[in-house]
Amino acid sequence: MARYLKLYLWFWAQRLKVLLEYPGSTLIGLFCQILTQIPGILAIWVVIRQVPGLGGWNYNEVLLIYGLLTVSMGLSFVFGQNLWFIGNGYIRPGSFDRLLLKPIDPLFMLVVEYFSWSGMGDALMGAVVTGKALLALNIMWSPLKVLALLLSVGSGTAIFIAVFLIGSVSAFWIINSIPVTALFYMTHIFARYPLSIYPRGVLLLVTWLLPYGFASYYPASYLLGKEAGTLVWAGPLVAATLLFIGYRVWLFGLRHYASTGS
Amino acid sequence: MPIIQVENISKVFRISQKDPGLGGAIKALFRPRYQDKVAVDGINFTVEPGEVVGYIGVNGAGKSTTIKMLTGILVPSGGQIRVLGRDPHRQRVANARDIGVVFGQRSQLWWDLALIESLNLIAKIYDVEPARYKQLLDQFTETLELKELLSVPIRNMSLGQKMRAELVATLIHEPKIVYLDEPTIGLDLIVKERIREFIKQQNRESGTTVILTTHDLGDIEELCPRVMIIDAGKLIYDGPLGTIKDRFGKFREITFDTAGSLDPFEPPTGTQVVTQEPRKLVLRFDRTVTTASQLASTVMSRVEVADFSLAEPDLSSIVKQIYGGALQKEVSQ
Amino acid sequence: MIQTLRRNVSAYNALVTLVPKLYLVYQSVFWIQFLLQFVSMIVLVYFWRAVYLGQATLGGLNLRQTLNYMLLVQWILPLLDNGLILHFGDWLREGKLAIELLRPLDFQSQNFVREQTDMFFFLLQKLPLLIVAWLVFGLQLPADPMRWVAFVVSMLLGKAILFFFQWIFACLAFYTTDVSGFYHALNAAAVFLSGALVPMAMMPGWLQRVAYSFPFAQAVSVPVSLLSGIIPLTDLPRIWLIQVVWLIGLAGVSRLVFRIAIRKVTFQGG
Repeated sequence: MARYLKLYLWFWAQRLKVLLEYPGSTLIGLFCQILTQIPGILAIWVVIRQVPGLGGWNYNEVLLIYGLLTVSMGLSFVFGQNLWFIGNGYIRPGSFDRLLLKPIDPLFMLVVEYFSWSGMGDALMGAVVTGKALLALNIMWSPLKVLALLLSVGSGTAIFIAVFLIGSVSAFWIINSIPVTALFYMTHIFARYPLSIYPRGVLLLVTWLLPYGFASYYPASYLLGKEAGTLVWAGPLVAATLLFIGYRVWLFGLRHYASTGS
Repeated sequence: MPIIQVENISKVFRISQKDPGLGGAIKALFRPRYQDKVAVDGINFTVEPGEVVGYIGVNGAGKSTTIKMLTGILVPSGGQIRVLGRDPHRQRVANARDIGVVFGQRSQLWWDLALIESLNLIAKIYDVEPARYKQLLDQFTETLELKELLSVPIRNMSLGQKMRAELVATLIHEPKIVYLDEPTIGLDLIVKERIREFIKQQNRESGTTVILTTHDLGDIEELCPRVMIIDAGKLIYDGPLGTIKDRFGKFREITFDTAGSLDPFEPPTGTQVVTQEPRKLVLRFDRTVTTASQLASTVMSRVEVADFSLAEPDLSSIVKQIYGGALQKEVSQ
Repeated sequence: MIQTLRRNVSAYNALVTLVPKLYLVYQSVFWIQFLLQFVSMIVLVYFWRAVYLGQATLGGLNLRQTLNYMLLVQWILPLLDNGLILHFGDWLREGKLAIELLRPLDFQSQNFVREQTDMFFFLLQKLPLLIVAWLVFGLQLPADPMRWVAFVVSMLLGKAILFFFQWIFACLAFYTTDVSGFYHALNAAAVFLSGALVPMAMMPGWLQRVAYSFPFAQAVSVPVSLLSGIIPLTDLPRIWLIQVVWLIGLAGVSRLVFRIAIRKVTFQGG
């Protein structure tokens, strides 16, 4: 366990070194990615400011939800982007075997070999928006609320990554797993806004099936003392379950790969 | 005590059959048809520690499938494999610690990291003891002249440099067995020599067992006292290299484009008619009995020749001969 | 007689099988984009319904108008993509640009014609999305054929304007290989500035002025507003005049910029 942690930090140090080699390019990339977040936030600003609220949530409250989701989304790409490329980047060119020939968990190697700098841009912007919203909202902070916030960011990220994992396993059968992963990923846009504006079916989908709601809506509800907030504590459990399912599915896919070859 | 034991292994792939076009795609969805492709068919062999074994066969013969099973990537459909007493698939991690693999074209090093960083990483992954790591690193970079390349990332290296780097990366954790798949492909002669020398040295000094799959007969001649030949999933030869060279390496084929048609051609002694067609005559001759020029002049004295070409013995022709020979051997025994 | 019939039938069969094949050919990319936009439509509908809960109009538009506008925008939105810069990058890398540069006039015209015709095929291809919007989300399509004509003409003009703008932007590829970041940033900006996220009328005055100073609105907000009736047909002469001015202006600038950019490459090589 400690060994894996050390390796993880080592890989990170390597990636950072590569990024620092071309600081200009790295900074431009970060800046551009931050720019891509602005339109969405601007849209919220333009529209919500003119109306009393969205489903009972005022401007800053909506911003909080949007910001929280963006943080989890960005972090999931920072840590787990490589999962999207199992098919096109590893199995198709035949370099997946390379992962199996090392005395280390192949999933670990895969996830750790690449971290997305542009994801950092998203996460940063999300953090800024979240911070701005929290400041404007005058939350009554308590240790529990801080804990809930931190747990939610962690669970949210984990949920996105679990979705990437489950989608990526399709690569063992159809190689190009990107469409499948994209399918599961795209429903996260529901969680950008308060779930109370959607019909019950969507609410259930984004809470229990593709549980992005735990990255944004439930923690925001909890911090604001809204009714749905009690569900926030289920977040880590849901995330852990999804990760567990994802890992089992991954093992299943690996077994298939080992018996049929590339 | 053999380091590798392969008992009657086979590998069967199920390939789905699909008719072309839209109708075919839909049919395949509802009533999938499969065809079994036998890649490996009942292979047996053992390898003792410290051996250098050449494993050759034409493309599609089952070479890479066997290697994949030996390295634990692929699960056999039948039979048993024991590498260092373990099942390489079930005990993948433990097996991985003791082996090194070089896939000719695909690198195990990280594309944009400097070589030294890649090697450090590998040392960490394989838990190489730091003092030993330093020692081996100095030794290898000295032998393979990689000192200036340590700070260069793989993407900026030439093919020859890449291969030398690969070898260091593969051997730095002192594996007991090394599988080399086309290690000298695309390299010029000098680099090839250097690599072959390095492999020989490793085997000599550390007793590393080497399994070498290659199409380059030069590799085989330099490195492998023992050769296994696989054809259509079966092992058709397993024995000393010398025997092959003596028995089959001496034949050449010469193809004549004849101007007119021939009566059935009576080959001179030591030669054999392979093909006779209206405008083509292919003869196989024993190099130790006659020479190409002698044969050509004999043929040209008997028939009008427009052009002729001489073929070097290639792997497939040797394999064909051996296959034919092996069959005869079985029949006579 | 029988022969003719048989020939017609087999031609008909070929055509019928061609249609689903066309859709299947685009397979994953097409269907994923379709599903993404379908999901976006769901979010869109509920978002705007919630916005309008307290009021009848926003920016002078009622809920029905806004929904029609936003749903129609989804239909044409992918046309906004500024991918030309990526193509330029590829062409430069592969050295193909050098070959094309032997005929500089043809190169841009070729691409122009191709993009304009592609637009038609694209709109046809995306019809299922429109049908879904109509069936499921209550999209109201205008009965007045003049609106459709106005839409098509302003789409053609708008797309052409975009083409020349993208041409200018794509020349960045001559100066740096780091185009991916710019591409994503511009796309994101374009989506907002075109009026695809928020109808122009809802933006504060200063922001509207900013948005209209970019050409993106000409390809999205203008045609869709015409089709959905937000802009009355009486405004057509003014609208088209503006679009033509944009077109001529950008076309001219694009030729100039391209010539300058090429000079850099041919003098400095690769």
